[in-house]
Amino acid sequence: MKSESENAASEEPAHELQSIDFPSPDSIEHSRLMGAHMPTAGGLKLSLISGKKIGCTAIQLFTGSPRQWSHPPLKESDIRAFHEARAETGIEFTVAHDSYLINLAAPAADVLERSRDAFRGELDRAEVLAIPWVVTHMGAHLDQGEDEAIQRLIDSLKLILEETDTLGYSSGVALETTAGQGTGLGWRFEQIGRVLDGVGPHPRLGVCLDTCHIFVAGYDIRDEASYAATWAEFDKHIGIDKLKVIHANDAKKTLGSRVDRHEHIGEGEIGRDAFARLVTDPKLLHIPIILETPDSETMHEVNLQRLKRLASGGAMGVQISVQCFGHYTDVYGSDAREIRIQSGWTLTDLVKKLESEYASMSDLAARCRFAVNEEYSKLDTILQEGDVVAVIPPMSGG
Amino acid sequence: MSEVRIVSEQLDVLKICASVSDSMNGAICTFIGQTRNNARSREVAYLEYNAYVPMAEKQLKIISDEAEKRWGCSVVIHHRLGRVDPGEASVIVAVGSPHRGDGFEACRFCIDTLKKDVPIWKKETCPDGSFWIEGDEAINAD
Ligand SMILES: [Zn+2]
Ligand SMILES: [Zn+2]
Repeated sequence: MKSESENAASEEPAHELQSIDFPSPDSIEHSRLMGAHMPTAGGLKLSLISGKKIGCTAIQLFTGSPRQWSHPPLKESDIRAFHEARAETGIEFTVAHDSYLINLAAPAADVLERSRDAFRGELDRAEVLAIPWVVTHMGAHLDQGEDEAIQRLIDSLKLILEETDTLGYSSGVALETTAGQGTGLGWRFEQIGRVLDGVGPHPRLGVCLDTCHIFVAGYDIRDEASYAATWAEFDKHIGIDKLKVIHANDAKKTLGSRVDRHEHIGEGEIGRDAFARLVTDPKLLHIPIILETPDSETMHEVNLQRLKRLASGGAMGVQISVQCFGHYTDVYGSDAREIRIQSGWTLTDLVKKLESEYASMSDLAARCRFAVNEEYSKLDTILQEGDVVAVIPPMSGG
Repeated sequence: MSEVRIVSEQLDVLKICASVSDSMNGAICTFIGQTRNNARSREVAYLEYNAYVPMAEKQLKIISDEAEKRWGCSVVIHHRLGRVDPGEASVIVAVGSPHRGDGFEACRFCIDTLKKDVPIWKKETCPDGSFWIEGDEAINAD
């Protein structure tokens, strides 16, 4: 059965696909750095080791307890173990997330000073661990004036970047887009743009985009148009060249809800299509992606696999199977056929391909319904790796 | 609990009715689709039913569950596949319900929706050739 359909398929103009140089799955894994926020209980190096176990090529970690202000200096042995684990695991990209307590825009002078001190500590630890970026939220204005808060944040960043410039640091600061909960700053791209402008161009100042945060903050990315519009906004106010890392999280809460609850990839309000687009977006292929999804122990591996599948679907095209029914079986055969299509193709694109390849199937769109994975689906459905598509002419059961 | 099946053997009307004859029910309403020996003023020798079986089963289940929910009845639908000779049953819908009104309505809903949404097709074999039946169209088969 299988060889029959393969023979038939080889009569089709498959040249266009064969001429594309498909990277091997291995080279894809290496080209796109991807991973998750990994726990450090039992030693910093465990973030790398456990990350490697689930297939990370990038990891995020807390270098200190995220709910503490001050930390004893890292032990020499822990630093060495971290470097050794990095070499052993081959994990290329590491990023630190700062303590939740830090508010570099705090109105109260004492909190501001503590925050700056704590953040200096974050950068010190990142520097000795050779972690290139420390992700930080932009703080909160606590109803004491947004403009003043943004100015304090600018002052904090200028001060700390200047200090660490003189120390010759390589580790930099990545401002994370936030969800806009409470009086938090950084949920509008304009706010981040103002901070970047205020500090002035600096090679150690960048941005981290969190998909869940921007979505609940009101930036839609669910379809092609909204995805493009959101990136245009990002580029206008922040600049894609400032982007250093992406947090890939689906969202439990709705667009514009400004409530930050992360969800497994493809299971939340954002949905699989947006992540398929994100991980195959040519302008972002060099940006590492980090998961911060729930149930890390059991689900990080699953969510990472999902991202990898979506990513390889993009680089290598998407393999689907297509089955026809009714009189179309006379030309197409009654077996399902494996077809490779481009990533991002919708049912409409597939239907056009079938219509152009078989003279007697030129009327599909006008008279058929289509099912994806045994469910009737709309023509704008984006096809995914492994999808089973059925061409369903008018029926005559009963 | 609704029950749906797509089968190759002859349908047993009495057995199917028995499966909805709960003593709570005051009515059993059935629809039996039977193969005609003629269509479009042609003699039909026999029919052949084809289906996208896994999806057809899912769709039948969706329809029967919907009917049970809307009319508070129990529904069984069996549909035949493969060759069916004239005079034989191709589909049976049996609805057991406390009252006949609901039963009639549910039964009609099931067969009407089945014809529209369940991916099953018949091919008529006539003395002068075979035809795929797709909605109102009859298309010459190879
Ligand atoms: Zn994040
Ligand atoms: Zn978050």
